[in-house]
Amino acid sequence: MEARIGVFICNCGGGMKNIDFDAAGAKVAKIRGVTCVNLISDLCLEEGTEKMAARIRAENLDKVVVAGCSPQFKEHVFRNVLENAGLDGHLLCMANIREQCSWAHDGDVTEKAVDLVKMAVYKARLLRPVEKQDIAVDRKVLVVGGGFSAVASALRLSRVGLRPTVLEKEAVLGTSSEELQRFYGFDVSSMIGAAEGDANIEVLTSARMTAAKGAAGDFLVTIMREGEEISRKYGAIVFATGYRTELALDSGLGLPAENEAVSGPKIVSQEQLFDMLNDPFTDTKPRTIGFVFGFSDENSRFPTLATLNNALAAKKEWDSEIYVFCRDVEVDSEGVEKLYREARECGVVFLKCEALPRIAVDNGRIAIEAEDVFLGEDTVVACDLLVAEELLFPTEGTAALSSLLNIRLDSRGFYQDENVHLYPVASERKGVFFVGGCRGDLDMGRVLTDISSAVMSIDKLLSSGTITAEIERVKADPQKCVACLTCIRVCPHGAVQLGRVDGGKEIAVIADLACDACGICAAVCPAKAIDFQGYRDDQLLAQIEAIGES
Amino acid sequence: MNGRIIAFCCEHSAYPAADLAGKLGLHYPETLRIIRVPCAGRVDVIHMLRALEKGASAVLVLGCEDGACHHITGNIRARERVKHCDMLLREIGIDGRPVVMFNLSPNAPHKFVKAANEITKIIKESREAR
Repeated sequence: MEARIGVFICNCGGGMKNIDFDAAGAKVAKIRGVTCVNLISDLCLEEGTEKMAARIRAENLDKVVVAGCSPQFKEHVFRNVLENAGLDGHLLCMANIREQCSWAHDGDVTEKAVDLVKMAVYKARLLRPVEKQDIAVDRKVLVVGGGFSAVASALRLSRVGLRPTVLEKEAVLGTSSEELQRFYGFDVSSMIGAAEGDANIEVLTSARMTAAKGAAGDFLVTIMREGEEISRKYGAIVFATGYRTELALDSGLGLPAENEAVSGPKIVSQEQLFDMLNDPFTDTKPRTIGFVFGFSDENSRFPTLATLNNALAAKKEWDSEIYVFCRDVEVDSEGVEKLYREARECGVVFLKCEALPRIAVDNGRIAIEAEDVFLGEDTVVACDLLVAEELLFPTEGTAALSSLLNIRLDSRGFYQDENVHLYPVASERKGVFFVGGCRGDLDMGRVLTDISSAVMSIDKLLSSGTITAEIERVKADPQKCVACLTCIRVCPHGAVQLGRVDGGKEIAVIADLACDACGICAAVCPAKAIDFQGYRDDQLLAQIEAIGES
Repeated sequence: MNGRIIAFCCEHSAYPAADLAGKLGLHYPETLRIIRVPCAGRVDVIHMLRALEKGASAVLVLGCEDGACHHITGNIRARERVKHCDMLLREIGIDGRPVVMFNLSPNAPHKFVKAANEITKIIKESREAR
């Protein structure tokens, strides 16, 4: 039986003057399969949608084509209209005759508008409904890590009514959060106390994640704890595994070997300098201190902050002469510009160099030689103490954890964000998030933002206890699928797994909750076994067919 | 389909860019027909070849900028497929009807218009050369 397709053409309240709607309507009515053509002004407004729903019922339509504005703009409105009129929302196809036709061209574009409607009608013929179902999800969240970001995330998750588990590989929480307490004056220990006392938060120490499978809302995680294996279900996973620093002594930065330096002048890390400054029994007072940072990595947010804090403290404590050699001072974090200004005002000298400074031990002192780009000449500073550049790395075990969930790492080994600009805390797998230092060089303000956005996303995902998912919108045909694993390898969201449907042979099964509907699997499938409702091969080819006939 | 250009536009980048071009009144050739896809990676060689078979004078595949693909590797896959399709066309001796990939972001309508104009120019030049 031929489908009954109704076309609704909207003139956008007279916003498309270069289309002759009556002529277009008459032409559209002649397209094969079109049951009725309705010209309605302001279709997206309440009056318009009511008229549209009434027409769908009166004409007993199966499929609907809306010609008007861009589907990016109003598709959801018209899908709702269909659903209210008893049709599936996926039985709608839109022809963009406003942005991509009327507004984009001068002169009469009635012909093109009719062409676009024809493309939509051809596609609409082949549309099929997609079933929707509420899938129950677990309201528990696994937080991997036991540092500041992990504990703060757990506290926030508990506050929104979810039940987090903090998984720490060490015996106690917060083993490497001392640095935060120092640089930011953040009270991590009281936060840990609060987390441990929270009835909603479960703390598992000396525990490791050894396996994970499943998709958003339904992860099955295996945890090793004191030789015992525990299996748990979680709705979402948050990685807050942090970072570690390493002194850049032997990474080609031209620093002398460590043992040579220890005897005479000293080369220290930011942390060691901090300890020296806070040691009440020390009597060393270096007259000149040189700082070097920002040459190994483009991001120098963290070293900038450490340098400014330490330089100011050294000025105050020892009244030393301070020279800072760096490529860029990054002051985009909160309060750092002020610190930088303070440092300059109390006499810290900043030297901007493009090339790595040459460092040599000379007469018991350390000579730093670099070309200052503003002076345009070589500057040599002899120091008593050199604070060397530190490199930032993800904590050990980051690679192993990421491989458990098939998540990519970036070139430096940090977790790779799905889209750095749009979804910084989300991974490419739905329901897996990263917060804090494990995704790169972040200052405290950004870590707090990370935590908020991750908690918000998880709350949205899990708080109602169910997720409405489109069932089998993307599906492998059991007759055609030969389980070649191509789709499993290419799926960017880890949504495809091998499985059996109704006890048949093993085929590719696409998890409805994990699938993000990109269609990459449908394009690569060598057997053309994967159907993707809305963008099926025949639906795309039908549009090409329509263009061919015009 | 005299002289139609078929553009497969990713709904995360090129499609909104085309919308924006319309909103800003930036003009591009009327011969362009846009097919919306969820990701440039959805476009298969068969879609490009069918478009040419049906008489299109060129095929554009428009996806996200490198490193900003909503589906991570979709734009890279699309580029490889376009390359493959181009190779097939050369092998069977069809030239002058290009299949080209461009990368753009959703807020770059001028880049969309540039892509449309550029492909039109290529078609015109190859037609004149013959």
